[in-house]
Amino acid sequence: MNELIVTLFALTLVKATPIIYAALGGVISERSGVINIGLEGMMAAGAFTAVVASFATHSPILGLAAGIGAGALFGYLLAFAATRFKVDQIVAGTGINLICAGGAAYGLVLLFNQPGASVQVASLGSSYWVLVVLAFALAALLQWVLYRTPWGLRIRASGENPSAVVSAGLNPLLLRTYAVILSGALAGLGGAFLSIGELNLYSDGMTAGRGFIALAAVIFGRWHPVGATVACVIFGFFEALQYVLQGQIAWLPANAMQALPYIAALIALAGVTGRVRAPAADGVPF
Amino acid sequence: MKQSAVAALLAAVCAFACAGCGQHRGPAPGQITLGMVTDVGGLGDRSFNDSAYRGLLRAKSELGAYIQVLQSRSAADYQPNLIALTNLHYGMVYAIGFLMGLDLDSVAKQNPAQQYAIIDAVVDDPNVVSITFREQDGSFLAGALAAMVSKTHHIAFLGGQDIPLIRKFEAGYIAGAREIDPSIRVDVKYAGSFDDVAAGQELSNLLYDGGADIIYAAAGKAGLGTADAVKSRQGCYMIGVDSDQDGLVPGKVLTSMVKKVDVAVFVVAKALRDGHPMRGHVIFGLKDGAIGLTDFRYTKAAIGPANLARLKAIETAIVDGKITPPDSREALASFKPVAL
Repeated sequence: MNELIVTLFALTLVKATPIIYAALGGVISERSGVINIGLEGMMAAGAFTAVVASFATHSPILGLAAGIGAGALFGYLLAFAATRFKVDQIVAGTGINLICAGGAAYGLVLLFNQPGASVQVASLGSSYWVLVVLAFALAALLQWVLYRTPWGLRIRASGENPSAVVSAGLNPLLLRTYAVILSGALAGLGGAFLSIGELNLYSDGMTAGRGFIALAAVIFGRWHPVGATVACVIFGFFEALQYVLQGQIAWLPANAMQALPYIAALIALAGVTGRVRAPAADGVPF
Repeated sequence: MKQSAVAALLAAVCAFACAGCGQHRGPAPGQITLGMVTDVGGLGDRSFNDSAYRGLLRAKSELGAYIQVLQSRSAADYQPNLIALTNLHYGMVYAIGFLMGLDLDSVAKQNPAQQYAIIDAVVDDPNVVSITFREQDGSFLAGALAAMVSKTHHIAFLGGQDIPLIRKFEAGYIAGAREIDPSIRVDVKYAGSFDDVAAGQELSNLLYDGGADIIYAAAGKAGLGTADAVKSRQGCYMIGVDSDQDGLVPGKVLTSMVKKVDVAVFVVAKALRDGHPMRGHVIFGLKDGAIGLTDFRYTKAAIGPANLARLKAIETAIVDGKITPPDSREALASFKPVAL
């Protein structure tokens, strides 16, 4: 029994971690007024670039840094499209998802000469636990920054009322750009956690919708870093639970078990709607 | 400023799209033409789709065929890809994977003059040859081998999606294990996806931690996660699937249950070249060499000659019809080990 609890606990954290990074990215981006639907693609970019850098340098730490950098780069691309060109953010984010998935698939052929999956590279190994702890630490830090620092206030103001930010003598577009770059960097870190933290390779489709689950976690967490993190942990818990329960209850097929986290998410979402309110200028170009 | 940025972006996109355009040439007159639509797993899964592609490459080198492959990113790509190849009037259009069954059926009905082949599904149209495999036979051998080698009398199965096709692997595997050790424990889990490598790894760790010392991973790319999980474990093994995955973690992959989709793809192409294209439902199995285990090149010593001889006897019994491996959970329930 104790063993089971330890297993569930550990698996919950591991399942939640990559989603937490992406969700924190989603929170900061939306708080600044930019909906980042490209989280999934930025995760894939981070996962792929981390593997490439680790392959080239044999250093998973440099791989991690490169993954963060790649995410930040696509964050900048989204910020540029959203602030300079005032492109519809949903369209721009979807474009980033397509570019990243396709670019990584093409990169596999170019760099490793094999489509589908990369070769195995140097990974963080067991020290990936540091990243699990870091995810929770970052959630607390971001909560503090957003609600207890002037910079956080300015970011939130950009997402609520950008005109007010201008009248305070600041540039909301610049603030949004910073926030979305940070958002991409966090999503990239989440992707790198998957590819060279838990595993040691990049494989097409390995992000498997985690970026979109992170988006749901942002809403469920009511655009708060800690709230979104709690949502990710709940999702991770039900995912871990269905892993453990599969095959234990004869009459319940695996397909029904696999639906468990999503059913839990639906119930949770239905329970909190009505009380949630997005930042007023979320997704509105300024 | 704005214009130049857009122009630069356009140029980059064009360069991206055109990389590799150089070698594109149309088919020569008299050449047989083969098109293929892969499943979402795509080329590089080192499994099912790669195996089909090898068959196509063999047709290119041995039959001088002109080949083209379109990859499907999602299920929404199946029909457009099939129609694209149909419009090129290829001699044969292959649909790789059971998921394409419905799409192929509607495309084939609209294009009665075009020949199609589908792997792993039965599509009942006169211009489609349906190819399925007796995966349960090879999985039975995999299960028997796992039961012989297991020290804990506890083995496991990791599936991709819980669908009838993968249950053929599951049922055959469990029956094979019971043939050797009727009281053996077989844990079964499904990743819910053929792409989610992390899920494959996490579930494999659960299964190994739970006491199983061999996992048969019939899970596409998610099976790469099993390879990652077994890498650092002493005395544990995995069994690969579809393609020869023995080299994934040399010495830790006991064997692979090879489904030689390439054999089937090639046989269909050859029949086309010889002027009598195949029709109807064709089933490939142990007998045709299209299903079987690998040659154990890294694990022969760990398995031992006595077990290999026993395995050979079981294979003969299946080919001779003395053992009929079950192909569903229902059939597994009524399976009784056969005394050899």
